[in-house]
Amino acid sequence: MTLPATIPLLGFAWDDLLFMTLAGIMILCALAVVGMRDIIRSGLAMIICFAALAGLYVLAGAPVVAAAQVLVYIGAISVLVLFAIMLTQTKDAPRALVFQTQVVPAGIASAVLAVLIAITVAATDWPTAGARLWTNTTELAKTLFADFTLPFEVVSVLLLSAVIGGVFLAKRERGAD
Amino acid sequence: MSKSLGQVTTAGKVIIPLLLVILVVGPIATYLLATVAGPVIMDVLNSNLGIVRFVVAITGVLLFSIPAAFIIIYMELKVIAFMNLRIGPDRVGPKGAAHSVIAGLKVLTKEDFSPNAADRTVFTWAPVIVFLTSVMTFLVIPFGPGLVGAKLNIGVLYLFSVGGMSVVGLLLAGWSSFNKYSLLGGLRAAAQVVSYEIPLTLSVVGLILLAGTLSVDQLAANQAGWFTNWYVFRQPLGALIFFIAATAEANRTPFDLTEADSEIVAGFATEYSGMRFGFLFFAEYVNVFIISALMTTFFFGAWNAPFPFPHLTVALDPGSLGILLPIAIAVGPLLVTLALAVPFWLIRTKAPAWQALLGGFALANLLAFGAIGLLTYISWDWVAGLIWFFVKSFMFVFVFVWMRGTFPRVRVDQLMGFAWKWLLPAALLNLFVTALAIIVVKSL
Repeated sequence: MTLPATIPLLGFAWDDLLFMTLAGIMILCALAVVGMRDIIRSGLAMIICFAALAGLYVLAGAPVVAAAQVLVYIGAISVLVLFAIMLTQTKDAPRALVFQTQVVPAGIASAVLAVLIAITVAATDWPTAGARLWTNTTELAKTLFADFTLPFEVVSVLLLSAVIGGVFLAKRERGAD
Repeated sequence: MSKSLGQVTTAGKVIIPLLLVILVVGPIATYLLATVAGPVIMDVLNSNLGIVRFVVAITGVLLFSIPAAFIIIYMELKVIAFMNLRIGPDRVGPKGAAHSVIAGLKVLTKEDFSPNAADRTVFTWAPVIVFLTSVMTFLVIPFGPGLVGAKLNIGVLYLFSVGGMSVVGLLLAGWSSFNKYSLLGGLRAAAQVVSYEIPLTLSVVGLILLAGTLSVDQLAANQAGWFTNWYVFRQPLGALIFFIAATAEANRTPFDLTEADSEIVAGFATEYSGMRFGFLFFAEYVNVFIISALMTTFFFGAWNAPFPFPHLTVALDPGSLGILLPIAIAVGPLLVTLALAVPFWLIRTKAPAWQALLGGFALANLLAFGAIGLLTYISWDWVAGLIWFFVKSFMFVFVFVWMRGTFPRVRVDQLMGFAWKWLLPAALLNLFVTALAIIVVKSL
């Protein structure tokens, strides 16, 4: 007696149920990120959002991307964001939101992004896209370091310049103060 | 009957009828379970083996973390006590061995208090995150050949990503307490863990280049044979960097700034009490075991013995003895005891006979248990693997305890400077030298 292939009453596969759960969590948390009043809690919702996205990656058969997502976005970026907020913000700060003054530009930006993504989704030939799935780390490495070496290197140069720029901005001028 | 029932307490009046009911219902239920439900349950389990394996692995690691933490807490108390010329815990159990268990039970009974201004939800969930991320790490650690929760082919990446998540819990614990010491502890934890994660990860990249795999299970299997195959001999610098960075990741002395009690009370754990504190405390000791286990797995041969051991399958067939088997079971121990008592009696003729017999009995038991142990060690390679894994891991646990008893704490600026100015360049150097060596060896 195995589990039935589809869920008895609803009639869709277990994978789909998992996908819907994760996607639902993601959407709810994304709304919470922009809607909540406490900025730290917004950050927490962002972490949950990232975790759900990692789950989606696993579901899509890309565990390497999922692990990188958790390692980089949750373990490093979110922590640094929270770290910076905690250093600058106290609980005595005004409860009213100070960072939602750019609602209109943000709305325009997200609308444009949504349209772009919709166009891309419509233009993609999904069956062939599903066929070139790289779950194997060796395959992924070959693709990344043989076929796409130049973009990879350009991205690393970009990151390096960002790091140098950050150091330059953070560097205190000697004798300035 | 009614008179004697009147003498028992209220609790007794409930328990005694219950006992009778259990005595009657128990055997019937067992019989039904074995004959009717048993085959159905086995069928369901067999057809869903993947799910069953997953659930068993998760339950296993969750349950295993408890005795591991208890043993390490006791070990820390006792070993540091000996180093300080104290006695240490000696009240509960032989030599105080049950001390940490009782302390754990005590924590369970304490009031679960949260400060007025604390962010209640976050305050409650932070210890859960800390504990969960620690325990989740166990899932890919190979305890023995085949004894691994999940054979992920990206095991090493999984280890670092889950391990990096624990800092979120620490940060939240520190922030939600609404207390400056807690906040300082949380911020220190974040800065420290994020900084040391980079050399920690880089130190293993050289190892991965050598091994050509990301699977922890495969890394362990690669180190079979003589102890010269252990990666520590090919990656000594990597092992050293990993050791130092892992110590910082687990917030152990000399990098225990996150809960430096002489500076910031107890860091992120200041406002915690009851079992929430218990979870934070537990996670810390689970982390000690994890970094020891990772040291063992990555660099010190995992579950492999330091020398190739002949793997034999001893085919014993006691049933072939026939009628002799019950006779041997009945008479054998007696004869062995008597035979082993003879030398005792010969050595000390003045001693009474019962003392010699007692000596013989003890010796016979020792031999029997030794023989059984040897037999299990030889015939099942996972038993041998488990033994070697735990021996090596607890050796590293001892080193961490030793360090806690010996080293002073570093300053915050020293901590950061060390990570970025020394460990990171050393890890990069290790990576480049390893890559170069691989290219040179391949081109030869």
